[in-house]
Amino acid sequence: MTATEGRTPTRPQPERPTHRRPADPPPRQPDPRAVLPTTPAGVRRLAAEQLGVAAGQLGAGVGNLVFALVAARVLAPGAFADLAAFLALYLLIHVPAASLSAGSAMAPELAAAARRRALAAGGAVGGALVVLSVPLAALLHVPVGILLAAAVAAPTAGLIALERGRLYGLQRHRRAVASLLAEPAVRLAIGVALAALAGPVGGALAVVAAGWAALLVALPRDRDESRAAGNGASPAAANGASPAVPHPRSPTGVAVAAFLLLALVQNQDVLLANAVLDPVEAGRFAVLSTLGGVAAFASTTVPLMLLPRGGRDALRAALGVAALLGVGALAVVAISPGALVELVFGARYAPVGAIAVPYVLAMALLGVARVLVAHLCVARPPRATLALLGATAAGHVALVLAIGHDAAGVATATLAATVTLTAGAAALTLHGTPAATRAAARALAALRRPDIAALIAITAGGGVLRMLATRGIWLDEATSIHQAQMSIGALLDSLRTTDVHPPLHHLALWLTVRVFGTGELAVRVPSLIAATALIPVIYLAGRDIYDRRAGLAAAGLTAVAPFPVWYAQEARMYALFMLFAALAVWMQIRVLRDGGGRNWLGYVLAAAALVYTQYFGILFVGVQQLGFLVALWRVRHEPDELRPLGLAWIGWSLFFILLVVPLMGFAQAQFAANEAAGKGFEQVPSQAGGTVGEIAGRPPGAYAALTNAVWAVLGYHSNATMTALAAMWPLLLLLALGMLGRGRSWRTLLLAACAVVPAIVLFGLGQMKPLVFEVRYFVGAVPLVLLLIGRALTSWTLRAGATVAVCCVAALALAIGEADQQFNGSNPRVYDFKGAVHSIERRARPGDLLVFTPSYLDHVVAYYRDGSDVSMRPLSNGLPRLARGQRVFLLASFLDKPQFRQSTQAAVRRLDARYRLVNAEKRPQIRTWEFSR
Amino acid sequence: MSTSTDPRLRPPTWDAARAPHPVLVRGLVCALVPLAVSYFAWLLAPERVGQPVLYGLLVAAELFNAIQALGFWWTCAGERRRPRARWAGPSAAVDVLVPVYGEPVAVVEPTIAAAVRLRGADVRVHLLDDGGSEAMRELAERHGAEYIRRDTRSGAKAGNLNHALARTDAPFVAVLDCDHVPDPRLLEATLGYLADPRAAFAQAPQYYANHAAGEIPAAAWSQQALFFGPIARGKDGHDAMFCCGTNVVFRRTALEDVGGFPQDSVTEDFELSIRLHEAGWTSHYVPEVLASGLGPEDMASYVSQQQRWARGCLGAIPAVLGSSLPLRLKLQYALSASYFLSGWTVLIYMSFPVVRLLTGSQPLAAVSADQFLGHFVPYFGLALVAVMAFGRGAYSFRALALQAASFWIHVQATLFVLARRRGSFVVTPKEGARERQPRAVAPALAALAVLLGVALLGLVRGHDPATLNNVAFAALHICVLTAGVLPALRRAPVPAAAPQVAPARRAREPVTA
Repeated sequence: MTATEGRTPTRPQPERPTHRRPADPPPRQPDPRAVLPTTPAGVRRLAAEQLGVAAGQLGAGVGNLVFALVAARVLAPGAFADLAAFLALYLLIHVPAASLSAGSAMAPELAAAARRRALAAGGAVGGALVVLSVPLAALLHVPVGILLAAAVAAPTAGLIALERGRLYGLQRHRRAVASLLAEPAVRLAIGVALAALAGPVGGALAVVAAGWAALLVALPRDRDESRAAGNGASPAAANGASPAVPHPRSPTGVAVAAFLLLALVQNQDVLLANAVLDPVEAGRFAVLSTLGGVAAFASTTVPLMLLPRGGRDALRAALGVAALLGVGALAVVAISPGALVELVFGARYAPVGAIAVPYVLAMALLGVARVLVAHLCVARPPRATLALLGATAAGHVALVLAIGHDAAGVATATLAATVTLTAGAAALTLHGTPAATRAAARALAALRRPDIAALIAITAGGGVLRMLATRGIWLDEATSIHQAQMSIGALLDSLRTTDVHPPLHHLALWLTVRVFGTGELAVRVPSLIAATALIPVIYLAGRDIYDRRAGLAAAGLTAVAPFPVWYAQEARMYALFMLFAALAVWMQIRVLRDGGGRNWLGYVLAAAALVYTQYFGILFVGVQQLGFLVALWRVRHEPDELRPLGLAWIGWSLFFILLVVPLMGFAQAQFAANEAAGKGFEQVPSQAGGTVGEIAGRPPGAYAALTNAVWAVLGYHSNATMTALAAMWPLLLLLALGMLGRGRSWRTLLLAACAVVPAIVLFGLGQMKPLVFEVRYFVGAVPLVLLLIGRALTSWTLRAGATVAVCCVAALALAIGEADQQFNGSNPRVYDFKGAVHSIERRARPGDLLVFTPSYLDHVVAYYRDGSDVSMRPLSNGLPRLARGQRVFLLASFLDKPQFRQSTQAAVRRLDARYRLVNAEKRPQIRTWEFSR
Repeated sequence: MSTSTDPRLRPPTWDAARAPHPVLVRGLVCALVPLAVSYFAWLLAPERVGQPVLYGLLVAAELFNAIQALGFWWTCAGERRRPRARWAGPSAAVDVLVPVYGEPVAVVEPTIAAAVRLRGADVRVHLLDDGGSEAMRELAERHGAEYIRRDTRSGAKAGNLNHALARTDAPFVAVLDCDHVPDPRLLEATLGYLADPRAAFAQAPQYYANHAAGEIPAAAWSQQALFFGPIARGKDGHDAMFCCGTNVVFRRTALEDVGGFPQDSVTEDFELSIRLHEAGWTSHYVPEVLASGLGPEDMASYVSQQQRWARGCLGAIPAVLGSSLPLRLKLQYALSASYFLSGWTVLIYMSFPVVRLLTGSQPLAAVSADQFLGHFVPYFGLALVAVMAFGRGAYSFRALALQAASFWIHVQATLFVLARRRGSFVVTPKEGARERQPRAVAPALAALAVLLGVALLGLVRGHDPATLNNVAFAALHICVLTAGVLPALRRAPVPAAAPQVAPARRAREPVTA
C-alpha cells in the first residue's frame, strides 16, 4: 500500500462540489426559535445526532480501510499498486469536491439547482480522462482500464457532495449515514470478488460502483423531498416557521471556498512533503499523515451538520463532538504510538511514533477549527474568515518550506498552522459576543489598575528571569527525559517498577516531549509554566486571604525567590509541587471562609494534583484535613454551621479519595518493587549538596533543619556560604520573638501549619530514613512561606514608604540569594554534565571511548552524547583496552561519596599506568580525564 | 473637665476572660516540661563547662528563666473557670476612696463623676487629696463626693488611704486610682465575691485605655494584658491573686485585721496582700474590665513606674520568704516578686557575645551548634508558643523589647534593695511628655553602643562561623534593644484621644534615689 493509499480511510470522504450560480439563493440562517433547542437536553440531542452521523462516517472509513487491506492480500503487489494508484486518482477528484457539501448543507435547494451543472462538470472531467487515458496510463504506469474507471467515477464527485450536503441541510441524517456506509458495503460486497476475478481494474470498477450506489442512496426519493430541496424548504420552513433570513455577507460560495481552503490546509502538507523531502522522509510523513487523518476524518461530518443549524447550542454540540472525536483519536494514538505505527505500517516506520501524537493533535485541532469555520460561515461576515484561512494556508506552506527539513519539521509546521487556525477561528467566533465584550471590558479595566499592571510586570519579569536562569540537565532530569520518551504504557511501567514518584509530572513531560521535543528548554516547559504561574497565583491568594499589598509583596518575592527560579529550570516535579501546594491551601481557605462547590472542587482537584505530583504532598493534605477537623470542632455547638460544613467535608473528601485511589495501587507497586530491589529511598543521590548540615547517612539534626530552612528561602549556595548563613541562626530567634503579639488569624495559622508541619514530619521520619528529610520533599512550603513573609512585611507598619522599603530590602536579599545560587560555581547543586560531555565530544574522534561513573549517569551522559560517534559505558563494566591512537575519556561525579571517589581514583591510577594522560578538567561536581595510547 | 475624646470613656477593647482551652494549656505544659528537662540535662552535663565563670552565669540565668517559665506555666495551668458571683444580700455600703496627689483635675474628674454613679451598693465617694488643691475640693463638691485632706503626708498613698479608713465606716472599701474611670457595674460585679466572709478583696483588671496613644502605652499595656489575662486568672485559680492598688474592693474588717495599708513599702498593695493571705484571708480576681485607666505615655513615666514596682517587689522578697504563707502561695508571691530580677539575665546574655568577641572565652565548651540547637530550639520555640497561646497574642514583641531595654531598672532596683536604700513613692505621671527622653534609656543606649562596637569589631576580625554566630547574637540584642529604646528617642505624636487639659506638672524623670 502506498502512503497515499494509507490516507484513504482517514481522510474525509469526497463530498461533491457545485458552483454557485447568480440565481442561487444565498445561504440562510434558520430561525433559531424554530429549529434550535435552547436547553441542555437539546444540546445533548444535537450532540447525539452528531455522534450518530460521525459514527457512520467512521464506519465508512473503517469499511474502506478493510477493503483496501483485503485487496492488498487478494491482489499481487503490482496489481495492488495499480489499484492504489486508482484510489489516489479517485481522491484527487473527490477531495476538492468535498468542500462543496458545505454549500448544499447551508442551502439544500442548491443541490437541485446545481445537479445538472455538477453532472456536466463531472462528465467533462470524465471525458477528458477518457481522451487522455492512453498517454496518462503510459505516464503513470497503470493500465488504461484504471483511468477509464476513474473517468466513470468523475461525474459522481460533485453529485455526491451536493446530495449529501442536501441531506445534512434537510437533517435527513439516516440517509446521509446510509449513503456513507453504502460505499464500503458495495466495495466489500463486489469489490473483493471483482478484484480477485479481474484484477485491479475489477477492484476499481467496484469502487466506482460504490460511488454510484452512494449517490443513488443520497438522491431525493420522492417528490416532496425533491420539492422541498428545490424550493429551499428546510424543516423550519416546513414547520411553518418564519422564513430564515439569509446572512447577506455569508453566501454559500463563501462556505465552499472556506471548506476548500480547509481541505488545502489539511492535505497540502503531504504534497509539499513529497516535494521537499527525500523519499524516506516523505514516506515517513505519509505514514504520519495517514495516522493524523484519523482525527480529521472522524469529524468530517460535524461541521456539515452544523451549517444548516447555526446557533449557540448547535455550535456547542458540534464543538463537543469534534473535540471528543479528536481527543479519542489522540488517546488511541498516544497509548503507544511507536507500537501502533509498527503494528500498522511496519517496523521501518517505528521512528514516526515519536511525532505521531503532535500530528494527530494537529488534525484533531483541525476538526475543531472546521466546526468554528462552519459557524463563522453562517454567523459572521466572510472576509475575516476567508482571510484567516488564506493566511493559514499560505503560512502553512511557508512554514513547511522553512522548517520542513524532515518529517518532524513538516509535522511541526502543520501543528503550528492548525493551532493558529483554531485560535484565530475561536477569536473570530468570540469577537463581538456580549460575553467577549464584557470580558474585554473587564480586562481593559483591570489593566488600568496599578496593582494589576504591577502584577503583569512582576510576572513578566519573573518569567524572563526563569527563562534566563538556565543550567544543564542533571541526573534526575535526564532520567525523567529518558522515561518520557517511552510509550505511555512503558513510561507508567517504568515508573511503577523503577521509580519512587507519582506520575503527574512525568505525564506532563511525556506530552511536552512529544510536542516540543527533548531540548533543554523544551523539557522544562511544564516547570517553567508552573513556576511562572506561581507568581499570579500567589498574588491572587495573598489578595484574597489578606489584602492587595500582601499579595503584591508576596508575588514580588516569588518572582525573585531562589527556589521558584531554580525549579523552573528543572525538568522535575518540584515547580508543580509548589504551584499545587499554594493552590490547595488557598482553595482550602476559601472553602473555610466562603464554602461553595467551586471552592471545594478547586481544593479537591488541587490537593489531588498535589498528591499525584509528589507523594509527600499527602503531608500537606493531611495538615489541611486537620485544619478541617479544627474548623468543625470550633463550630461544634452551632448546628447551622456544623452540619453543612461537615456534610460538605465528608462528601468532598470521598471525592478526593476516589481521585487518589488509582494512585494507591501504583504507589503500592512502586513500594513493592523498590523493596524487592532493596533500594527504597536510597536509590537516588538526593542529598547532593547537603553536606553543610548533614553527614551522609546520619539522621538529620537541628543544623540540617536549619540548613534546609535557609535553602528554602535563600536558595542553594556553596558550602562556605551555607556555613556562614547557618552560623547566623540567632537572627532566627529575633524572627521568632518578632512573632510575639502578631495577629493570629486562622488563615495565618493554617498557612503556617501547612508550611511547617510537613517539614517537621519529614524531620521526624528522617530519624529513621535520613534521606527523606530533604527540602525538595517539602518544597510546597516555599510559596506559603513567601506568602507569610509578604503579609508580615506589609503589616509591619502602616507607613506606605516604610512598607515599600522593607519589601524592597527583602526582595533584594532574595535576589542576591538567587544570583549567588545561579552564578556561584561552588554551588554543590550545580552539575555541569553538559559542559563536560560537550568538551569530551569536541576532543573525541570516532572510535574513542567514554567511561563514566557512577553507573546511574547513563541517562544524562546519553542525553548530551546524542548523535556522537563516541561509544560510552559505565566504569562498573571495567576499563577498556585501547588500540593505538585510541583515547578513553573518564567522566566522574558524586566524588563526595567515598565509594565513587575510591573507584574513580583506582581507575585513574590504572589508566595512568597504562596510558598517557592527555587532559584533565574540573567542572562543577564533575571531573574528566582523557587518556591516549 | 473631660471631653468625649478621653479614651477612658470608650468601651474597652480587651476581654480579660478570653482564655485558651484548658486542654491546650495543659497539653502545652505537658510538652514543655520534658523539653525543659531535656535542655537542662544537656546543659548541666559536666562536659559543657567552658569558661567556668561564664558557664556559671549562663546556668544561673537559664535556671532563673526556667523557674520563671515553669512558674508561668504552672500559674496558667491552674486557671479555674468560676461562675460569676452576685451580691445577694441587702444593699451594702461601700466607701469609694480615690487618692490624688497633684494630678490634673481633668484626669480626676471623670473618675469622680463615674464613681458617684456606681450601682449595686450604697456608695460614698471620698476624694483623698494629698496635694492640698482647692480645685480638688471644688471638684468633690461639684459631684457630691466627700473631700478629705491630711495635714501631714506620711506614708504616701498607703498613708493617705489609712487616713481615710479612719474617717469612714462602710463595711466595704473600694480603692480607685484617680485616673481609673470605673464602670457603673464595678461594685455589682465584685461585691458578690465578698459574700464569702473569708474573702478580703476582689481585684479587677487594670486596663490602659490609652494603649493606642503611642508605642510606650501600647507596650506597657501589652505587659499588663499578659498579667491581667492568663497570669491573674491563674493566680486566682491558685487563690493567690494579690491586690494591685486600684480597681479593688476590700472588706474593711480584713484591712483592719492586718492594720491597714502598709506604709513602709512603695508597693503597699503587694505587701498588703501578703499580710492578708498570711492572716488567712482569701482573694479573688474578677476577669472583667470594670475600670479604664491611663498607662504611662512616655519612657520616663514607664521607667518611673517600673522602678517603683521593681524596688517594691524585690524589697518584699524577704517578707515573702519569711512569711507563714502556705507553700503554694509563697511560691506564687516569690515568682511575682522575683520577676524583677529578670533584667540581670538580659545583662548576662548580652555580655556573652561581647566577652566572646573580645576575649574568645565562652560559657560552653565542646558544643556543636547542632547539639545546642537540638536541645534549645524545641524548648525555646514551644515556650514562645505557650506565651502566644496563653496570652492569646496579648504579649507583643515591643513589650518584650521594652522590657529588655529596661533591664537596668531591675539591676538598679536589686542593688538598692541590697543596699537597703529606701525609695520614695512616686506617682506614675498620667500624661506623657512629647519631647525625646534619651536620659530615660541611657543605660540601654550604652549597652547598645557596646554591642554595636563589638559586633563591628568581630566582623572586622574574621568571618569564621563562631565569630559570625556571636556577631549574630550581638545583632539579636542590638535589634531588641533598639526596638525598646526607639520610642524614647522619637517625639511622641500628640494623641488625639488624650484629655484636653493643660498639664498640671511635667512628667518626671526616673527616680534615681
